[in-house]
Amino acid sequence: MTATSSPTDRYVAATLRSLPERQRQDIEAELRALIADAIDDRREAGVDADSAERQVLTELGAPARLAASYSDRSLHLIGPEFYIDYLRVLTVLLSTLVPLWFVIVALVSFADGSPADVAFGGALYSALETAMSIAFFTTLVFAIIERVSAVRTKRTATWDPSSLPEVRDKRDRFSALIGGVIFLAVIVVSLVLIQTVGAVEGPDGARVGPVDSGLWESGVFYIALLIAIASIPFHFLAYYTGWSTLNAIANTVFVALFAVPAVWLAASGRLLSDDYFRAVGWPEGADVIAVVVIVFILLITASDAIGGWVRASKKRRTR
Amino acid sequence: MNEEALATHRQELRRGTIVLACLLLLSRPNYGYALLDALEKSGFDVDANTLYPLLRRLEKQGLLTSEWNTDDSRPRKFYVTSIDGAALADTLKRDWHDLDSAILSLKDDS
Repeated sequence: MTATSSPTDRYVAATLRSLPERQRQDIEAELRALIADAIDDRREAGVDADSAERQVLTELGAPARLAASYSDRSLHLIGPEFYIDYLRVLTVLLSTLVPLWFVIVALVSFADGSPADVAFGGALYSALETAMSIAFFTTLVFAIIERVSAVRTKRTATWDPSSLPEVRDKRDRFSALIGGVIFLAVIVVSLVLIQTVGAVEGPDGARVGPVDSGLWESGVFYIALLIAIASIPFHFLAYYTGWSTLNAIANTVFVALFAVPAVWLAASGRLLSDDYFRAVGWPEGADVIAVVVIVFILLITASDAIGGWVRASKKRRTR
Repeated sequence: MNEEALATHRQELRRGTIVLACLLLLSRPNYGYALLDALEKSGFDVDANTLYPLLRRLEKQGLLTSEWNTDDSRPRKFYVTSIDGAALADTLKRDWHDLDSAILSLKDDS
């Protein structure tokens, strides 16, 4: 009946729960008065107290919806503004990474000596897991973009026709990204194959691959792979919010995080196994390959870091 | 035309008129429930759960000002149209008349 009766109390509490602290007191006082006024009105018209209260609360609707309306919160995870982008990114990632991952896992586990059916089953399971992670993280990133107003306005407010990317440029960048993913996968597969299947008998009878066995087992490669994989969503995010100086700096740090340790390992002779190159009859091979690896790493990482700066400066110019 | 589509079209057309009606009605201070009642009596069909958050948004935008009135047995939040709000109401009213004559002229042509 009045403000102290329990359905109203519960309704008000449920509405306030998700509202910011500083708004609560004022909204509570007003909401209670509004509900009480509405109930009084109905009682004057001859409705009994309980039904009047129930009718009024029913008309006000679900508390969560009312609270969202009070706080201007969106009631969707990803709105129409980003939904198309979201679908496109999700489709591209799923249709490229999942099959690739399936092939990689199947090959690696087959090369590792698993029977074909076990390798296939394991790869299928792993691919499904990957698909779910991709879907989850893509959704998460877009849900964050949707809610971080700075990113939203950055994406929407600065748009004008002159900021449209060159058609070729855009496709290039997109396919470069996909190309990068495939490239990464090929490197990982060939590295694992060379190290396992391509291993030869070393001096002490154990099988050695071209990569230093201590390093291989230390898990450093997992970290390197993790950095490489982590850079993919990072690039996507930068691609969709537009490259800024901040993105370029972060990208450079990212790249350095990978390049500096990698070059140091190769340059100090810790990357490759001398035993392997002696066993295959090319003793100076370790040094030659180390130089090739260093040049290769520097070329790739430098072009990535510089690419970020170029995109950031291009973006500024078109504004 | 099905019911749902019809209701959506009518709702779309009326949406902005609620703001104008509030700004005009609140040239004299009033509180939420009485305003809801006044709107309904004037023929503006609006839900309580739309109106109350709307009043707060308009206040946040500086189009309304509010004040707690504790004279009655029940304290109520009274809203009144600000100078900015009155200016907006004038603009919206002009737009409304322009639209009205524009639609009438469409009818004449056909």
